[in-house]
Amino acid sequence: MIEIKNLRKAYGGRTVLDIEELHIKKGECVVLTGHNGSGKSTLLKILAGTEKKSEGSVITRGQIYYLPQQSLPFNKSVRKNLLFCLEGKRKEKNEKCNELLDAFELRHLENKNAGTLSGGECQRLALARVLCRRADIILLDEPSSAADSKGRALINSLIKKYCERTGCTLVMTTHTGEYPEIKGLRIIGLCDGITVSKKEADGNDA
Amino acid sequence: MLLSMDREILQIIGVTLRMSFFSTVISCLIGMPLGILITSTSFKGKRTVRKLINTLMGLPPVVAGLIVYMLFSKNGIFGSMGLLFTVEVMVIAQCLLITPVVISLTGSVCSVNGKNLLENARGLAFGKGKTVRLFLLQNRASLVSVVLTAFGRSIAEVGAVSIVGGNIQWKTRVMTTAIMLETNKGNFTLALALGLVLLSISFIVNVFASLLSEKEGEE
Repeated sequence: MIEIKNLRKAYGGRTVLDIEELHIKKGECVVLTGHNGSGKSTLLKILAGTEKKSEGSVITRGQIYYLPQQSLPFNKSVRKNLLFCLEGKRKEKNEKCNELLDAFELRHLENKNAGTLSGGECQRLALARVLCRRADIILLDEPSSAADSKGRALINSLIKKYCERTGCTLVMTTHTGEYPEIKGLRIIGLCDGITVSKKEADGNDA
Repeated sequence: MLLSMDREILQIIGVTLRMSFFSTVISCLIGMPLGILITSTSFKGKRTVRKLINTLMGLPPVVAGLIVYMLFSKNGIFGSMGLLFTVEVMVIAQCLLITPVVISLTGSVCSVNGKNLLENARGLAFGKGKTVRLFLLQNRASLVSVVLTAFGRSIAEVGAVSIVGGNIQWKTRVMTTAIMLETNKGNFTLALALGLVLLSISFIVNVFASLLSEKEGEE
């Protein structure tokens, strides 16, 4: 659950985000759209707690995992990247890691250093690291921006599966107009940091 | 004398390595976490702290030696410990010189990708321990350079160690002070030969560190 009231973020004297009210229910999936600099990433950063707000209140409940736009490939093999993020006993971690490698189509790269991956492969790995544990809220900042059309379809289907399986709240940003086909998905348009449109994914105005 | 590696030279090499190793380890253990902390957190007086560290980076070794000498001399605060003219006090003087360098260099490494790394670590809900592990992992090569710089400064230092160590034969004589002594005696051949040994030690340590760094990077 996410509750935002009178949220304002300014850099110097310039306001980059100004949201009067936004309520995202538990288990709801929201896509933030808007052009570059519209405040999508700033909003996610504030929700994730990596950026401080200037004014207003933001209430979130539950464990949050956040995928920043600039995901960092850890200086290890793809397999070890995943193992580093997983928790539990070694056997369980290995089993879960194998599942993830197959699901994210990274099996053929498992022993490759993550720093040498292509942009799309790197995004799949970064997403796998975020989705490898159970979260209450998932924040994804343009999770498929560097992927090709096949990669984007795979990423969107994996996000959809994760949300349906865990019932988590999802907030993701996109500027490509592509997003997971999740039932009841809400699209919120941002323009210069202000929410300008809210609609259901099927086109009905909310 | 040098080719036969007589006992005295071996002892001098031993003291040099012991002093350099411990001062490097202690400085890195103190300086690296401080460097990360200072760069990654905001606090009042951060600029002043940075300026102070930068000033300490330029601390002349003889001044560091003098400060430590006064602290550990008979009438000094730590005089009762009886550490003056021992390897231990040489390590302390070296730490005073090297730690600011380690703090500053680690801070520079941290500021390059620190923000992105912290954002990713927080996004994955890593605790402090795991975040530090990630930082060490991501910056392994740069941090090896920091360690080597610290070791290089320690092994090449002469001013502070000669003041607090006293260049005592069979006790606190290290390569640099031995070179200085031989030069003063006019024994240039031996001084040069000792210099070559010192360079060789530095070279071996560098090769070893590079191999270690490359091997880990291939993981």
